[in-house]
Amino acid sequence: MPPDSDKPRGLTRRELVRVLGTSVGLACLTPLAGCGSFWERQTAIPVDSWHKGVCRFCGTGCGVMIGLKDNKVADVKGDDDAHNRGRLCIKGLATRDILYSEGRALHPMIRKNGELQPASWDEAMTLVARRFKDAIQANGPDSVAFYGSGQLYTQESYTANKLFKAGIGTNNVDGNPRLCMASAVTGYTTTFGKDEPAGCYEDIDHAECFFITGSNTLECHPIIWERVRDRKRSHPATKIILVDPRKTPTARHVDLHLPILPGTDVSLYNAMIHVFLEENFIDADMVEHYLSFQEGEQKRTFDDFTRHIAKYEPETVAKTCGVTAQDIREAAFLFASSKATLSLWTMGLNQQVQGTASNRLVSAMHLLTGHFGRPGATPFSLTGQPNACGGVRDTGSLAHALPNGRLVANPKHREEMEDLWNVPRGRISPKPGHHTVALFDAMNRGAVKCCLVMCTNPGQTLPNVTAYREGMEKTFLVVVDTFYPTETTKFADVVLPAALWVEKEGVTGNAERRYHLYPKLVDPPGEARSDLEILVDLATRLGYGDLIAARTPRDVWDEWRKVSAHSQYNFEGITYERLQKERGILWPCPTETHPGTKRRYVPGQDPMASGTGRFDFYGKPDGRAVVWLDHQEEPLDLYSDEYPLIFNTGRILEHWHTMTITGQAPTLKDIHPDYLEIHPYDAHRLKITDGDPVIVKSRRGEVELRARLSDIVRPGMVFATMHSARHLINQSTHDAHDPFSKQPAFKRCAVSVRTKTV
Amino acid sequence: MARPLRQSLIAFMTVAGLWAAPAWAAGMRDAVSSVDIFRSIGIAASVAGILLLILVQYVYRKRLSHSTYHRLLLVGVFLLPLTATWSTTATVMEGTKSVQACRSCHVMHPFVNDMTNPSSPTLAARHYRNNWIAKDQCYACHVTYGATGTLAGKRDGFRHWFHYVTNTYPDPIQYVGSYANSNCLSCHQGTGKWERVKSHQTLVGELSADRIACVTCHGPPHPLPHERTVAMANRDASRRMAGGPDGQ
Ligand code: SF4
Repeated sequence: MPPDSDKPRGLTRRELVRVLGTSVGLACLTPLAGCGSFWERQTAIPVDSWHKGVCRFCGTGCGVMIGLKDNKVADVKGDDDAHNRGRLCIKGLATRDILYSEGRALHPMIRKNGELQPASWDEAMTLVARRFKDAIQANGPDSVAFYGSGQLYTQESYTANKLFKAGIGTNNVDGNPRLCMASAVTGYTTTFGKDEPAGCYEDIDHAECFFITGSNTLECHPIIWERVRDRKRSHPATKIILVDPRKTPTARHVDLHLPILPGTDVSLYNAMIHVFLEENFIDADMVEHYLSFQEGEQKRTFDDFTRHIAKYEPETVAKTCGVTAQDIREAAFLFASSKATLSLWTMGLNQQVQGTASNRLVSAMHLLTGHFGRPGATPFSLTGQPNACGGVRDTGSLAHALPNGRLVANPKHREEMEDLWNVPRGRISPKPGHHTVALFDAMNRGAVKCCLVMCTNPGQTLPNVTAYREGMEKTFLVVVDTFYPTETTKFADVVLPAALWVEKEGVTGNAERRYHLYPKLVDPPGEARSDLEILVDLATRLGYGDLIAARTPRDVWDEWRKVSAHSQYNFEGITYERLQKERGILWPCPTETHPGTKRRYVPGQDPMASGTGRFDFYGKPDGRAVVWLDHQEEPLDLYSDEYPLIFNTGRILEHWHTMTITGQAPTLKDIHPDYLEIHPYDAHRLKITDGDPVIVKSRRGEVELRARLSDIVRPGMVFATMHSARHLINQSTHDAHDPFSKQPAFKRCAVSVRTKTV
Repeated sequence: MARPLRQSLIAFMTVAGLWAAPAWAAGMRDAVSSVDIFRSIGIAASVAGILLLILVQYVYRKRLSHSTYHRLLLVGVFLLPLTATWSTTATVMEGTKSVQACRSCHVMHPFVNDMTNPSSPTLAARHYRNNWIAKDQCYACHVTYGATGTLAGKRDGFRHWFHYVTNTYPDPIQYVGSYANSNCLSCHQGTGKWERVKSHQTLVGELSADRIACVTCHGPPHPLPHERTVAMANRDASRRMAGGPDGQ
């Protein structure tokens, strides 16, 4: 149309159709044009960006995706690409809130006139350094100690271990894994010569029989349990056997439950081996080529072993164990006859005076029947904490240990580490340090003057805790924690606020030898610092700045993986770049192109194994794994007329350890674990009704709880959780411990129960 | 009764009957599928409409009074086609609930095939093979229960279809937004098993606001992106679809 036309214009019919067509087309495109809100379901929690990480809590080590909004953690969901396949348990979900819960420690504090008062970092660290220096000068290096945690990052435990052992010159480095995993360590090392499980989580997908013993997997390793259930869902013929004194939630889903009396595991496993021998389930090739036998310091033969086992006929041990001979035979048959049997265990085995013996007998059952080193066939110890394996066991941050399976008592091992750490020969003390119970005992005696406690709460978790509180009171105690107050800060002279979870960067190693990375995503609150920063600062102030030259998480990791190359743990190939990219890698992993190792000791799969045989147990000089002749000892703390019940302890799904974190999380804090499970039969006899306040009294102390009548426990047994600080069950528990692992026997002591008179 | 009143009553009852029939049919579930009934009504209405028009126009025209002729014409020209249109819509609305309808897009094959795989441990497969959901298994968990649930479900379906035909979807496909837990809770909440878990009680608020997904602990509902191999999924799938639920 000419521009000068002044005719009024309307739309032609063709134009109208075109406009209408375009509008309809555009309307259809709205979902693509950012008007999605009308078209799509919305996310309940808006997030700016997602980052890969790992759950803060248990040793399962589930992969998480962390959603940030305005530089704060806003949402956490399971990582589809990690081993947990997007699943998380309720604790994992709660990580969304833990950084912002009430009660975070925000400022350094120093005790003045009996009160903890805010101080500056410089003031606090100057005091700590001065007190440590004074103690070392006046009483020698063994008068100071480090008490760490399976929740510190690997870089932190490694640095602390190096500072104390190669710098200060004391082996007084221990930590809460002693209360948790020590018997698993000695179980594995006495059998295979090397610590840590040989198998991996993937074995769950191939097992045809699960032998779960001393583990309430459903509540304590829920995501592993879901994987077990998935196996059963896919292959309903899969059998699950459970050995647990209680009819736990796990017990509801198993095919066979043996409610064994606490502390009688050695009898049970020997009896099962008795059935293996009787029914000819023994793998002769294993016995001939891959196994050796030992009793104490003595070498034994297979015939000696057979004679030893003859004493453990199921019919004989049934009474000791409190289960029927029929069930023992059934369990043994299912275990041995399946195509691939996988054992899972944790605190139930580890926390008893015969913890080491129980651990190695489970391994022996696998070795003798050949249920080892094949997909689905492996003895797999579950770990409680996210970094007990990687951070403490692998770095050797325990009083008797040095990195990568070395021992303080071995002069060659000390020399190797002195060379690797570049310190003069003779720097590392030949004397093993104090293990946990001995350490707190040394504090009682005044032998240890200063102790740095990091990321753990011994004021609540030590067995027979009242006996050690006095020592903590006397010692110059530096407590580094993320929350304040705790039962331990009550005795602290200095409290230092620590960063939590993704407020700092680090690597952890979960139960299946998987190293994975926690990124730093947000800043810690108040003046809190990462534990690594605190250790580096302390090292510098104590004059070991040159020794602790690696000062960032990345540098420490690089140093550490290169140290590992000089051992059969070799994970030099797990570089930071790979950790940032991948969902963790299972060591050994010697080169950057190595995919990681699913099954150890199997030539062709484990880069450390050599030869062409079925196995190469390279941890032992003769290449043979050891089967031990272990005897059942008299169970601990026998009951009497005065203390007629057995007290058993444990955990629930919703809480973590001493609840310092989960007790503040909005989704978890209302779940109270302060109850005593008692069988209605005992309750009736003791005139206790449901909900009554009751006093549980042992030979060491007493604790008040509310009675919960339940047939989860057997008659004659009571149970309480270790979580709550309001009722310290460890005032009653026993501090007796395994002679090899020094792990205390939390799972059994004799008590009486009575109604509290008001 | 006054004539207009009677007329409106008949009209009302016809409309009500048209709505009641499918509702009744839907209730019959296994005997006859509601889709079949809607489709039959539609076909019957169309055939009747055409017949009526032919008869009225060519056979009976002379014998009918002028007003009756007009009324019957009205029925043939408007009411019956309207019924047919309604029936088509209802057939589509109802028909798209079926698993087969969802499976008609090939991106859905891994999901449906996993669901019908008797040894898959996914939530969908377990609900399917254990007959926890008797029919329309996809729809049952993706409709969203509540006032506007059906609308949201259909809207999602339309959007999926739109993305599919315009080839504008990501591969592997991703679930958009927060999954509505009401799909799970409508059956599970309040059952003894559900109540027994302490954490469920403390999470009620978070669950109903969809801030925590049931499937985080109990999933995954379907194979994960890296597990969605069509080859695996296609295996035996058609046989299973034909054979119906099996396995444990
Ligand atoms: S199972 Fe353990 S690692 Fe996994 S989400 Fe739960 S607490 Fe976290």
